[in-house]
Amino acid sequence: MNSSDRELFVEQVREHHAGLRGFVRALGVDPLWVDDVAQEAFIVAYNRLDEYDHERDFGAWLRGIARNLVINERRKNARRKRILSDNLTDVLVSTSSVAEEEEREIGDNGLARMKALKECIATLPEKSLQMMRSRYEDDLSAQDIAEQYGMKPPAVRKALERVRTSLRKCMEDRLGLAGA
Amino acid sequence: MEEKRTDEELLEDLLEGDAGDDALRLLADRIQDDNRLGGRVRDELEFSEMLRQALKAEAVITAESVDALVESASLETNELIDRVCDGKPTAFECDRLAKYLRENPEAIGQLKHQLATDDWISQAISEARGEEAFVEALETRMWAETRQDSFVTDFAARLDQEIAIQDRDDNLVPFPWGVTIAKMAAVAAVFAFGAFMLAEQVSQKIGNEPVASLVKASDDVHWKGNLAPDANGGFQSGQYELSTGVIALKFSSGGELTVEGPAAFRVDEDGSAFVYHGVALARANTPDNAINLQARGINVLEQAPLIGIDARSEFSTNAFVLSGDGGICMNDGATCRSLFEFEAVKADYTRDKLVDIPYNPRAFSKTWELLSGVETNLGDVRIELPGTEPTRARGGGEVRVFVENESFQPAGELEVDLLPAGQFAAVGSNSGKAIETEGDLRSYLLQVGPSNEKSVEASLTFEHEVVGVIFSSDRLESSDQSVGSSMRDRGGDFSRVRGLDYGSDELLLSDDGRTLNLRLQSGGQQLDQIRVLVAVR
Repeated sequence: MNSSDRELFVEQVREHHAGLRGFVRALGVDPLWVDDVAQEAFIVAYNRLDEYDHERDFGAWLRGIARNLVINERRKNARRKRILSDNLTDVLVSTSSVAEEEEREIGDNGLARMKALKECIATLPEKSLQMMRSRYEDDLSAQDIAEQYGMKPPAVRKALERVRTSLRKCMEDRLGLAGA
Repeated sequence: MEEKRTDEELLEDLLEGDAGDDALRLLADRIQDDNRLGGRVRDELEFSEMLRQALKAEAVITAESVDALVESASLETNELIDRVCDGKPTAFECDRLAKYLRENPEAIGQLKHQLATDDWISQAISEARGEEAFVEALETRMWAETRQDSFVTDFAARLDQEIAIQDRDDNLVPFPWGVTIAKMAAVAAVFAFGAFMLAEQVSQKIGNEPVASLVKASDDVHWKGNLAPDANGGFQSGQYELSTGVIALKFSSGGELTVEGPAAFRVDEDGSAFVYHGVALARANTPDNAINLQARGINVLEQAPLIGIDARSEFSTNAFVLSGDGGICMNDGATCRSLFEFEAVKADYTRDKLVDIPYNPRAFSKTWELLSGVETNLGDVRIELPGTEPTRARGGGEVRVFVENESFQPAGELEVDLLPAGQFAAVGSNSGKAIETEGDLRSYLLQVGPSNEKSVEASLTFEHEVVGVIFSSDRLESSDQSVGSSMRDRGGDFSRVRGLDYGSDELLLSDDGRTLNLRLQSGGQQLDQIRVLVAVR
């Protein structure tokens, strides 16, 4: 492997890690193990860099590796699995092999998407931001957050869902503007 | 013939599933004539069924599992999706959602986008999942897997540079370094000073039944603080401080924990253990033996058969997999790693990071000595840590002991050399014999490398009974595969020069089959190897 290959790989890690992690999650991998699976995909890709056809989209190649890793999870015994459920992953993986466009939509533009998302998060009202941090940074359940804010769990779930929807819309709008 | 069998014998056959037609007919006849026997058979069968269910955990339906099932069954689809997005759905909920998606394929894409978006939000908000954390973890994994590959230098330098530029450009959700430092200090303070106090304040529930029992201890054990094992070696639920020495305790699950002082650890009645400080090795020969093991900053999610915790540092805890593989998470649950045999990670809890480190298990030398099941009575003996490969290096007369396989059942017939117990005798050519055991075995490889010493003497006592000794080169080689020895792939300069010298090397296996004495002529270039098989179950 020459230095230009390595440079390419470094570029690709930065470009694709966020999208790849989202893609891995979308195949039903347990959130706790998403980064582990994505890192494994990068390591497999690095070890097989000689096999990579430079004409191909690197992100698609990487997603193929990740998809195979996820499929292999189904063969592991229950204690070793990094997916939430065989059945759910079956459904999510089986469609991803035909919906190339959908995959690209999820897995590509990770860097730009993350930048847009951070911009959107910066505009959130303080309470919404705190709630999202409780959920994603402190990994609290809706029940725990409800206790913290004196709310009912369904209300917390709804509030989180509203923020998520608004963030997604904001991110897509920004990406659309950037792409325009 | 059956007519002469007692009621007890017939009942025993029935419960063991060995009763033939004649025995069943006879038992039925006797029950007709004897109501008390009928009642007894009914009781025994009922109890036997209870035992079967109790031992087969998944067959037991508890009130909690029924409640959870009812709750899951009443969830709407969007609630099921919420559960999946939260990452904590039950298998039943996943199956229900999968069924819904199969019937409504148009909803699949939407769910996938929802899951991906959820992950991106998590990446954008959680520092532990940010780009820097991901890249650092990837970098150390790369380093661990590619060792000295120059890629690592390029990778690290390049990414540091790029991330610095990125941070300058768009630090939109700032996590100022000052805040991080404050967080580090706060976390360190909590862990360094608070953990003990907190644990002390947590109820130190003293039950009647010990939660674990002391199985072994070195001579220099000294306990500090309020709790120590009772006179029978029982550990009640609570926190223990071991000032000096090494102890091994066994939980009711069968899992073992070996701890080297100075150390502070906690055991609880649910069979869990928490290592606050010190060095500990946990062994679980089967998943059912596993201990719910935690240490500062680390939660062992899936226990490898042999895992080491080095919690001596104030700011980090290292975990080593010495055998098998498992999974480990940081205590915050946000960062997890699969860990394979001879891999190690450091949980840096001041920075919420889990990073790969070189596998160097020397910290576990003493705990491993106690756990290995070998005690040295005489001679220069070294118990090698798992992962150490037998080499031909000159050993200066030192006997190196490798635990080749902690627990196995030979796949085929395993032939061992003849060694009559109770008499020191020069080893020689012998017809050998097939090993006679049905339980699990452990295999040790004893090796004396070439040395200038004329002879080497040593005496080793094994925790379990020695059921076979192999000292001839041929049988050593033919048994490599069966015992899963790393020697099986070596061949070359090891083959056929491994065994003892017939006529000059002497062995003595004690009458109780526990102690092996060696008197070996070790001069010159000869490599002496002896395989010792003990019955662990």
